[in-house]
Amino acid sequence: MLAATSSLDQFSHDPWWLVLIKIVGVFAFLVVMTLFTIWYERRVVGRMQVRPGPNRNGPFGLLQSLADGIKLAFKEEVIPKTADKVVYFFAPVISAVCAFTAFAVIPLGPVVSMFGHHTPLQLTDVPVAVLLILACSSMGVYGVVLAGWASGSTYPLLGGLRSSAQMISYEVAMGLSIVAVFMTAGSMSTSDIVASQANGSQAQFFGLTFTMPSWYALLLFPSFLIYFVSAVGETNRAPFDLPEAESELVGGFHTEYSSFKFAMFFLAEYINMVTVSALCTTLFLGGWRAPAPITTFWAGANSGWWPMLWFTIKVLLLLFVFIWLRGTLPRLRYDQFMRFGWKVLIPVNLVWIVALAGLRTLQNSGLESQIKTYIMVGTVLVIAAVWVLWPAKEKPTAASGVEGIDPGGRVGGAGGFPVPPLDLEVPPSPRAPRLSVDREPVPAGTVAGDQSATEQEGR
Amino acid sequence: MSHQLLLAEAVGAMKGGEATAFWILAPLAVIGAIGMVWARNAVHSALFLVVTMMCLGVFYIIQAGPFIGFAQIIVYTGAIMMLFLFVLMLVGRDSTDSLIETLRGQRMAAIVLGIGFAVLVGTGLFRALGSVNSAGLDAANTKHGGNVQGLAELLFTKYVFAFEVTSALLITAAVGAMLLAHIERRKEDRRSQPEMMRQRFAPGSYPAPKPGPGVFATSDSVATPARLPDGSTADRSISKILPTRELTSAEAAPKGTEK
Amino acid sequence: MSLSAYIPIVGLLALGAAFALFSVSIAPIVGPRRYNRAKLDAYECGIEPSPQPVGGGRFPVKFYLTAMLFIVFDIEIIFLYPWAVSFNKLALFGFVEMVLFIATVFVAYAYVWRRGGLDWD
Repeated sequence: MLAATSSLDQFSHDPWWLVLIKIVGVFAFLVVMTLFTIWYERRVVGRMQVRPGPNRNGPFGLLQSLADGIKLAFKEEVIPKTADKVVYFFAPVISAVCAFTAFAVIPLGPVVSMFGHHTPLQLTDVPVAVLLILACSSMGVYGVVLAGWASGSTYPLLGGLRSSAQMISYEVAMGLSIVAVFMTAGSMSTSDIVASQANGSQAQFFGLTFTMPSWYALLLFPSFLIYFVSAVGETNRAPFDLPEAESELVGGFHTEYSSFKFAMFFLAEYINMVTVSALCTTLFLGGWRAPAPITTFWAGANSGWWPMLWFTIKVLLLLFVFIWLRGTLPRLRYDQFMRFGWKVLIPVNLVWIVALAGLRTLQNSGLESQIKTYIMVGTVLVIAAVWVLWPAKEKPTAASGVEGIDPGGRVGGAGGFPVPPLDLEVPPSPRAPRLSVDREPVPAGTVAGDQSATEQEGR
Repeated sequence: MSHQLLLAEAVGAMKGGEATAFWILAPLAVIGAIGMVWARNAVHSALFLVVTMMCLGVFYIIQAGPFIGFAQIIVYTGAIMMLFLFVLMLVGRDSTDSLIETLRGQRMAAIVLGIGFAVLVGTGLFRALGSVNSAGLDAANTKHGGNVQGLAELLFTKYVFAFEVTSALLITAAVGAMLLAHIERRKEDRRSQPEMMRQRFAPGSYPAPKPGPGVFATSDSVATPARLPDGSTADRSISKILPTRELTSAEAAPKGTEK
Repeated sequence: MSLSAYIPIVGLLALGAAFALFSVSIAPIVGPRRYNRAKLDAYECGIEPSPQPVGGGRFPVKFYLTAMLFIVFDIEIIFLYPWAVSFNKLALFGFVEMVLFIATVFVAYAYVWRRGGLDWD
């Protein structure tokens, strides 16, 4: 613990001008990352939808988001007359400030030499660094809920309401998923957590010694999974983008916002994405440390300015997953979404924490390894027995979609609503001869086909 | 006299940064508190309270208790004040306090009693704390190897009973919220998604989107119903919230989009 | 741990606030301004806005329950953090008391679940 304290002490020794340089550096990093991520998202989603995406402004269209940002500044600002002017003004500012501040404790690299000073490539670190990020994200909810309320309009109010409920629900899951990391690292400071992922610890199972993986993403896989899912929910991204469900709520809480006030919300959303990805990298993916194969043939990969490259690559990969999700998954229904957060993520998280704590208590106890094994196997057996013997819920007779359709092709009797015939064959398009050559026409209603397929699998 | 000296010493003992932060944040906290009382709009009151809570959190951090400081920000401003905001929004945004006094002269009495109480508490605290030398948390923090570790050591050994009792408090909170806000619904009343879908397509209800107002109508006013293919008017194309009404002259006038 | 480690956080906060305030305040000056009464109405996809937001700007009471549950779990999390950090020091005793705590809070959670407080429709 003493070593950890002294490693934290190095953050208080920077001269003021160096602190200033770092602050501006982090700020610039965030703004550039935002501009880049917007372009990145549009290009990647474009590729996924077989279209090029923005490619006009600058090389590969890289300056597109900058152009959009500048354009926003020259747009008229409309404040609805029903708005609460003061709160309406401050809501985007709150969002942006919270987004910026959270990044202060993210470690970007090891100690480097900067203008003759040895200083860590991190703005600052405190013993409760991760709490700062959580505090910022919980304050960020205010920006959303106040924006929705202050607009004095229906859609923003509903969007802000949904958003805030969603963010606080997923904050719980996020907060719980980090507990396992604190438990394993024994610290809440980000640089300590990165340091504790440097080397895998040795563990003994059944008399054999294994080297555990050093990344917490592998070691604490359930936590990693829950963290990432709740991070997607926390940043209001697809498939959890219910607050701005365009087909239902126009734009959600920022419907009434225009010009730079809207740009602030946009900026905050993308910075939040970068921050949760950076926190994920720090907590679960070894932080700025180079991934395993690189360090074996290049010893210098973890020193100097190189780690910032590894860090950025990891963050960009995580951002790619965010975009991938958006390009792939449809939006959830609100009740399904809340059920998933409250009824799946939270109990699974609590059970996992208790199981991990039990395992570690067992490891730390002075018992013989054989007894340890017996206790472990016994617990697993008991849980398995309970699982098997638990009274099964009688399943309600599954209502298939076909039921209730009369032969006339109408739902609900002869006077009902007409539906197309379920065995309708989609004729091959005459304009796509290439695609239809080796593909048979597929019947549109595949319900019967699916059933027979599952039956065959059952056999 | 000695109290003043001690206070001056205490101020001197405060590090420069600490004193600066105090003198910036303390007025802010007081302004937040006063604003909370004075604001007409309930949501503004809550926001002023948020400012005060934030300042308190920063005070804790300054006084070498970073964990409790961030816990204050996360739990009080992040969760509890959010609950307050939700409750205020339950009431509606335009509701303000009624300013009619039901008790005659209570405002004067409240002011006098309030000032008296403040003086009483202030003197009490001043006399009690004036002669106390503040030890600070630094020694305790270094002894346990950190603020969080020290806190954990005390919380989970010496104060373990209080900690366990907190969980009972949390149960009470959850049960209370359920009793207050939950509308119990019988099993039969609950409808699953397929049931809702079937009902939507059942004879008698019209599942397709309603014709938009003004579509195939003689004017593009929202108050003009759409026309069905046979020429009759579709009354359900007009939103229910729109009363049938004559436009006022201001509404009927051109909106001034063109010069 | 001295306070100077917190100064950069305040610095970044100040820079972020300055940037946000500056750009939000400069926008109305830079941008055009053309008056139009229809523009100042609440946006409801082109139809005349409903006279008041739903129920006079009210939230459904359901959200109160969510916020209350959030507080319950937030407090649980705040207790879990110091426990997790000094987990190795607290050993078996710490484990047992935390299991008790989690189990007790779980009772509240199970009650709310059972009564349907977590159902949305």
